[in-house]
Amino acid sequence: MSLHYGTLQIVIGGVFVVLSLLLASAFVVIGLQAGTDVSVERVHRVGYWLRKRWLALLAAVGVVVVGLSLLDLPYASGGAARRTTVKVTSGQFFWAFEPDRVPVGTRVRFDLTSVDVNHGFILYNPRGHLVGSVQAMPGYHNELDLTMSQAGIYRVRCGEYCGLNHSTMDGSFTVTGR
Amino acid sequence: MEAATATPAPPAILHPQAVAFTREAQQVERRVGVLFGVTGIALVAAMGVLALLMRLTQADETGLSPAWFYRLMTLHGVGMITGVLLVMMGALWYVLHPVVPLRPGRVYASYTLVVGGAVAVLVATLVGGFGAGWTFLPPLPFFPVGQWPVWSESLFLVGNLLVGTGFFVYCLDVLEQTTTASGGLGRALGWQYLLGREPEAPAPQVVAATVVAIDGLLSMTAGSAIVLGLLGRTYDSGVGIDALVAKNLVYFFGHSIANLVIYLAAGAIYVILPRYAGRPYETSKVFVAGWMGSLVFIATAFSHHLYMDFVQPMWAQVGSLVASYAALLPVAVITIYSMTMLVWGSRYRWTLASTLFYVGLAGWAIGGVGAVIDSLIPINFRFHNTVWVVAHFHTYLMMTVVLWALAFVAHLLERETDRTSSPALRSATIGLLLVGGYGLTGTWFVAGALGVPRRYAVQPDGTVGYSSVGAIFALLFALGFLACIVQLAPLARAAWARRHSTSVEHGPGRAAGTAGARAGAAPQSDERPPGRVGAPLGTAAHLGFAVALAVVAIVAFFPGIVDASETSTRYHHLDHAGQFLFGIVIGLLLGSFGTVSRMLGDHPAWGLTLVIVAPATMMLLMVPRLYEPLESNDLQHALYHLAMAAFGLVAGLGATRLTPLGGRFSAFLAVAMTLMFAAAMTGGAS
Repeated sequence: MSLHYGTLQIVIGGVFVVLSLLLASAFVVIGLQAGTDVSVERVHRVGYWLRKRWLALLAAVGVVVVGLSLLDLPYASGGAARRTTVKVTSGQFFWAFEPDRVPVGTRVRFDLTSVDVNHGFILYNPRGHLVGSVQAMPGYHNELDLTMSQAGIYRVRCGEYCGLNHSTMDGSFTVTGR
Repeated sequence: MEAATATPAPPAILHPQAVAFTREAQQVERRVGVLFGVTGIALVAAMGVLALLMRLTQADETGLSPAWFYRLMTLHGVGMITGVLLVMMGALWYVLHPVVPLRPGRVYASYTLVVGGAVAVLVATLVGGFGAGWTFLPPLPFFPVGQWPVWSESLFLVGNLLVGTGFFVYCLDVLEQTTTASGGLGRALGWQYLLGREPEAPAPQVVAATVVAIDGLLSMTAGSAIVLGLLGRTYDSGVGIDALVAKNLVYFFGHSIANLVIYLAAGAIYVILPRYAGRPYETSKVFVAGWMGSLVFIATAFSHHLYMDFVQPMWAQVGSLVASYAALLPVAVITIYSMTMLVWGSRYRWTLASTLFYVGLAGWAIGGVGAVIDSLIPINFRFHNTVWVVAHFHTYLMMTVVLWALAFVAHLLERETDRTSSPALRSATIGLLLVGGYGLTGTWFVAGALGVPRRYAVQPDGTVGYSSVGAIFALLFALGFLACIVQLAPLARAAWARRHSTSVEHGPGRAAGTAGARAGAAPQSDERPPGRVGAPLGTAAHLGFAVALAVVAIVAFFPGIVDASETSTRYHHLDHAGQFLFGIVIGLLLGSFGTVSRMLGDHPAWGLTLVIVAPATMMLLMVPRLYEPLESNDLQHALYHLAMAAFGLVAGLGATRLTPLGGRFSAFLAVAMTLMFAAAMTGGAS
């Protein structure tokens, strides 16, 4: 399976690039101005004026992005009554699904655990886009709710270093057409 | 006579106005700076070579086996963190000692422990084949799939324990001395100044060092608890591990120590960067408030590593989300921003050191953007454990901490020789470091957005190209690093020759004639004695609280409680913690009495040793294989439980040999360690 960039990942990558370039530009400008002679009083007057706004901007952005992120938490909630539970057992170095296929459109609750060490369940859809990830831990059950919207083979790779064959520990889960 | 009284010329290497606030470094400060700086840089260089080898392996260019890849990965992680930790410990000590009478003996002990730990990890990985990653996420060390023997796993854990203990010793000395010199914890942290009760603020490096020391002590205690538990598991397979609690402790230790490196560095930057800008950095109320925030955020942000462990309580997930974002504010608004204010229009002196300091600030800012994006839970869901994470922490570790490590050593040598390298060579070096460093992290950012998981010896199909390009950039960064060393080598030779001739001329121990001497302004710290032993329970409130604690803790000896606790390994260990608490409180009470205190004498080194070794030994003995055979014999059983209290008593008496605050805090940490141990270690092998 080859990997492909998802839309969300492209957007996030773009935001990161833009912010990084803005910051880098600011450092270049300040560096170029470092050789000039500006009085300390002026630096303080302008700098502290700007700093208040910088703090306000970061605080406002923080409230917005943290607030928005709380609206989209991936944690399973509520009962599994209208969901198909898929038990996922991991171990060095395998993934086992029970059942291992569901019809397209099924609302699935993945119930993950491990028989030995910590593993990471990274799920890729049939187009090779990373859908999401959750840990599989010994002694615990992590539950992930997803609606399987595409027919085809979903691939799983291990996302938590688990020993010698970590990079080849993969599995698959089939979503059939109706 | 005229020559003796004339005002010396200002050093050429620093800003002319820095003379007003820059004093000559004492010999012990230079010695500690060079020792920690050079050792750390050597370790960073060696680990960098391993990193290049790993990237080439991922690019399918070396033929290195996955087994060897993971050994190198494990060593690279521990070694690199240890290397930069050493440099920054030295850097903070270098700037803190002039204003706080830190004890050289403590810092050398710390150095010995940290370097000893690094050697143990080196042997465990390269000779023993240990390869569970630097996070040694339990219970992975016990599932080697034939890759490493028990001794190498034990040696690796001992190595981590030594590194953690070394940093603990360092932090405790910093905390004891900053609080003693300042007149209390509140003053050292600047609270009295913040609240307007005192007009004078502590020096910025004092505030930073005190915060780092507190968070360092807390996180090293968590690390010791889990490492000691895992060591117990090596010789008793009946010890079980709670994977969730263990993971919390591992990341409280691992994330914090990696994170604290940059805060150690920040404390040094407040003092060193102004020397090139000619403007002193002064503590403000905003600064103190920001560092109070950092005190909390550093200690709580670690659990964003557990976002994808859905069984982690929701309050911890949300708390970590808030803390991870909030941690950005003091960094972005105070430290980085203030440093750029210092530089702006200052006629900044561009030297190798000062350029590296400046570009390192940008790395912290850009790395922080990547970190903040990843700290948002819905985004983390899609980027967790992809190489995006590798990108963001390498951005600020490579492009800030490593550059600042080079900058600190360069600063020492530039001051010593009053020379720097040529502008052309410097520009080429910085260019290589920037292109190589950001190119390398860029390949990880791009591959992370694609969904490539981290820690893969063999890359997913179709993604090897990212590693190939990354390896080229890594090589450029390595060339830049090498170019730095090449520029520093002649300065080091000149500094050595200068020191050697000075020693011959004036005899051993005489330090004179450096550029910094001409700038000397602040008083020499040796005039101020270090903090003295004092009763940790010095007030009626302290005594009353301790007696109340002892009364509660004695419940841990009641037969009904002991019997009930033995139905569960976790509760049994909790009962042991209660017995230890009783012992340590009795020790503190006894040692606080004047007669007993005089009998014990003024032995802070012994006190420190006991307060570290006693709880550690107790936990190593707290394995079912040792205590279960004793439970059938009432006398042996009772003696075992009394021994738990005896370890507490010894630790408590040891704590009374420290400064009052150091004693109380270290006693608290010893008890906290036994509680964390109880939470993480369960019955039944897992």
